[in-house]
Amino acid sequence: MIELILFGILAATYLLVIVKRMPALIQGFRYQSFFIFLITLIAGLTENQPGLLIVALLILALKVFIIPFVLNSIAKKISVDENLGLLINAQLSLVVALLLTYFSWVFSGMLGFNNGHISIAITVAFSVIFIGGFLMISRMKAFTQVLGLLIMENGIFLFASFLSGGMPFFVEIAIFLDVFVSVIIMGLFVYRINKLFTHIDVNKLSRLRG
Amino acid sequence: MANLLLKQLFLFDPLSIFFLIVIGIVSLPSAIYSIGYMRGEYKRGKCILAAALLIVFVFSMCMVVTAGNIFSFLVFWEIMSLVSYFLVIFDTKHVKSVQAGLIYIVMTHIGTAFLIGGFMILYKHANCLDFFTIKNICQTIPFQTKNIIFLLLLVGFGTKAGIVPLHIWLPYAHPQAPSHISSIMSGVMIKTAIYGLIRFVIFILGVNQTWWGSLVLVLATITCLAGIIYALMERDLKRLLAYSSVENIGIILLGVGLSMFFISINKPYLAVFSLIAGLYHLINHAVFKGLLFLCAGSVYKATGTRDIEKLGGLIKKMPQTAAYFLLGAMAISALPPLNGFISEWLTLQAFFLGALDVTGGTKLFLGLCAAMLALTGGLAAACFVKAFGITFLAQPRSHYAKEAKEVSFSMKAGMFFLSALVVILALNALKIIKLLAKVASVSTGIDIGNMSFSLNNFILTPQIANNVYLSAPLLAAILIIFAIVAYAVYMSFGRQKAVVYKTWDCGYYKLDARNEYTSTAFSKPFRIAFSFFLQPYRKTQKIRESFYHVKSFTYETHTTQVFKKYIYDPVLALVLKSAKAMRRMQPGSIHLYLGYIFITLLLLIVFMRKF
Amino acid sequence: MTIILKIILFIVLAPFLSGLISKIKNNLRLRKGQSIFQPYYNLAKLFSKAEVVSEHASWIFGVTPFIVISSALTAALFINSISGLLLLIFVFALGRFFLALAALDAGSSFGGMGASREMFISSLVEPAFCLVIFSLFLQSGSTNLTVASIVSGIALFLITVAETSRVPVDNQETHLELTMVHEAMVLEYSGRSLALLELASYIKQMILVILVARIIFPVTMPVFAGIIIVAAVVALLEVSVAKMRLFRVADFLGVAFVLGIIAVVCAILGV
Repeated sequence: MIELILFGILAATYLLVIVKRMPALIQGFRYQSFFIFLITLIAGLTENQPGLLIVALLILALKVFIIPFVLNSIAKKISVDENLGLLINAQLSLVVALLLTYFSWVFSGMLGFNNGHISIAITVAFSVIFIGGFLMISRMKAFTQVLGLLIMENGIFLFASFLSGGMPFFVEIAIFLDVFVSVIIMGLFVYRINKLFTHIDVNKLSRLRG
Repeated sequence: MANLLLKQLFLFDPLSIFFLIVIGIVSLPSAIYSIGYMRGEYKRGKCILAAALLIVFVFSMCMVVTAGNIFSFLVFWEIMSLVSYFLVIFDTKHVKSVQAGLIYIVMTHIGTAFLIGGFMILYKHANCLDFFTIKNICQTIPFQTKNIIFLLLLVGFGTKAGIVPLHIWLPYAHPQAPSHISSIMSGVMIKTAIYGLIRFVIFILGVNQTWWGSLVLVLATITCLAGIIYALMERDLKRLLAYSSVENIGIILLGVGLSMFFISINKPYLAVFSLIAGLYHLINHAVFKGLLFLCAGSVYKATGTRDIEKLGGLIKKMPQTAAYFLLGAMAISALPPLNGFISEWLTLQAFFLGALDVTGGTKLFLGLCAAMLALTGGLAAACFVKAFGITFLAQPRSHYAKEAKEVSFSMKAGMFFLSALVVILALNALKIIKLLAKVASVSTGIDIGNMSFSLNNFILTPQIANNVYLSAPLLAAILIIFAIVAYAVYMSFGRQKAVVYKTWDCGYYKLDARNEYTSTAFSKPFRIAFSFFLQPYRKTQKIRESFYHVKSFTYETHTTQVFKKYIYDPVLALVLKSAKAMRRMQPGSIHLYLGYIFITLLLLIVFMRKF
Repeated sequence: MTIILKIILFIVLAPFLSGLISKIKNNLRLRKGQSIFQPYYNLAKLFSKAEVVSEHASWIFGVTPFIVISSALTAALFINSISGLLLLIFVFALGRFFLALAALDAGSSFGGMGASREMFISSLVEPAFCLVIFSLFLQSGSTNLTVASIVSGIALFLITVAETSRVPVDNQETHLELTMVHEAMVLEYSGRSLALLELASYIKQMILVILVARIIFPVTMPVFAGIIIVAAVVALLEVSVAKMRLFRVADFLGVAFVLGIIAVVCAILGV
């Protein structure tokens, strides 16, 4: 069951790599978050931890509904160009993503996780982190940087929850709050950048250097 | 992780307590002084901010000298640097303040970086942060490592103390702060670096290399001379005082360096004696430099300028400030019987006494150091004749000085307090030396039980029979008695009052302030004699109406800051050049930066595999 | 009691030395010259005259004569031992400090000029003086006439020339604006104050000449004879060389400094 959901996460992550437009990207993020919610929910039910249940509900609320909603509304406000501006095209990005997954696999072996689903979970978690980073690098729009960060955060959450059975409850809550605030702030930034420069192409910001 | 625990938070040994006293006796009058000084200078909110910063500043200094482990020492050291940075840029109206603050913060952090380097090596060997544990471990550290630690600490503390050539921030930063802060910075803050040197090099590390002491002596000599020569050239009163602080740090370091030298060649008596001389000069300098900065602040408050070329005649407008300044100037010029004289005299004696116990060329070395100390004393006297004479005597040179008025009561109270201390420190030399002997004994680890500091007589030659029996009160009494006798003789030849008449003017009958000697003119002989070091240059420009009639004539003279020109400018140029090269890596693209982070992360993970 | 007698003797004999030097000087120039007691007549005249004080002067101007003479007399107490010599540096500095301030006080250019030059010369004198004392200190214990003591004596002689404002460093006889140093500082003084200052400079000269005589000549020779010989050499120097430019004084004192180093080296080598 858990393995299935993990593969779901991985699939959602690959989806994020190949999409070319903003709404699709947000949708992909929504899928990924939903799978993470499922995993947390199952963990909470099987281990009978009410804390985990609350966290799961928070994931559902924040990452599946509120954050994508906020991002969507920002995307609509900007409404100039929905294209993400791929620096590396979709096919090549997928190859890189696969390579990163392989690397994560090797790395999880290095860390000494060789048994069953923990090993898979660690691999997936690392892939999500790496791919999030890769997305931030390889997409032009400032928007992707926001989403990349969120994806990486998902990966870190996954990693933490499998490595140590979840972070302490309050840390978790704090991180959620942090992420939420950062989304709002970055959203505002993107909006401002767009207003000022009539685009959110980060590439062109390089003109600002001294 | 267990070794990161701080077992020993505080350390109150005589050395710490001595520095606490130094901090206290300068900070208290400065704080009183600030009440009057800040009033009318800034808005109310800013005054409160200044007071708050002052409290934090003094508190952090107290913590620095009482910290019992490296970690809290560094933390408070950094707080001290930051707060003093804010105080330097306090007067944000002036662009100069911000520039001075920048130079200060950069230099002080370079210094801290060296300190951290030294501390990390210590920690690596001791696996503990507490002073005493490290002290015990230090005996086992190989001497090459000790050398490296010593050099790192010397540069680190030297930057804060203002050892030439690391002094360049000092003449910019100290004058820009409000005067009571300048007084604390010059009087106390730079002394915390001396505390660091004594605590870490003498107390913890233990001196067993002769060249350490020699190096400090050479640096101290250069510091003395360079500091005072620059001070002589200066026409900004507060910068003059700041340069003079550089000089006095040199004199203090002569005592400390000599002590290190004698520890390494195992002469316990001389080591303690030299350290007493150094510490005595330290507290003396704290007091009289604090006093002089407060007086300079009063002059600034009363006239609105720090340029002594625009001052003059203030002794009649501000008689009390003038008297305090004169007292401070006399003390700093090492005139008997004031406190500066006693400590310089002790330092000179330490050199003389030490020369008897060493052999060969070392004697000559010590003799030359002593001679340079004497030269410094002579130049300091010249410098303060200039500072006092041009600022307070003769006729006012501008309207700034003409409209000056005596300052408010709280400012006078602060100055009075420090003036009283100058006299007290001079007349109670014996007691103070005995107290300092304890401090020196603790910091050098030498037992002074069987040493007799029969210093009510300033013994110079314990080996030779006919000692001069001289104590400071006695010397003061002799001087005063002779002066009174001279006065009696003077009065006995008649009591008619002196005729008050114009200054002799060669029949020119229009002698005014423009005929007076200026500060630049006063220092001209020195500028020429030390031209190899100062590299003065001048620009003249004549505008003629005809061949015979010169309508206007401008004359400018400047001196070259050799350390800036030959050390800092090339280094700065190198940094800028490499920054330009680095720019290629910095195109301003967020993707590239993220890529750097990403690749670094991956590389680190791969790198991890090896371990 | 003997100390008081000694001081009185110092005060009484000091002007005589000055008269002696000028008498020898005039004889060397084949002139008749002033009486050997002229300094006494001068002092007596000045003590009986009223004073004129500049309107710009402050209390510094008033107290300076007393401080200067007090410092000179105090210095006279300490010439018997080497540690006392070290004190001389500081005590002389006290008098000089106030004299320079008083010179600035009246606000004339001459005063400033004198103060600046005097501080310049004296600050260069101090290291040489210190080295001489250092050398003597290293030799102390031996009463024999050594190379070291002679070299340090010569160095001290040069210092004496500079400190007592003699040719080639300064000229006591002239009041030419461009050259005077010591005279420029006391230019504003008159009457009894001037008398005190003159007396102080006689005493200072006496102290330094006695020191030179004691260092160079063997202890068996009476001090009095030594003083006369030194005075003669000072006079000879005064008539035979011209005054130096101010900035060459640095070289002159540089020679004294180097001689001081040589004296220290000789003392270390024990020759």
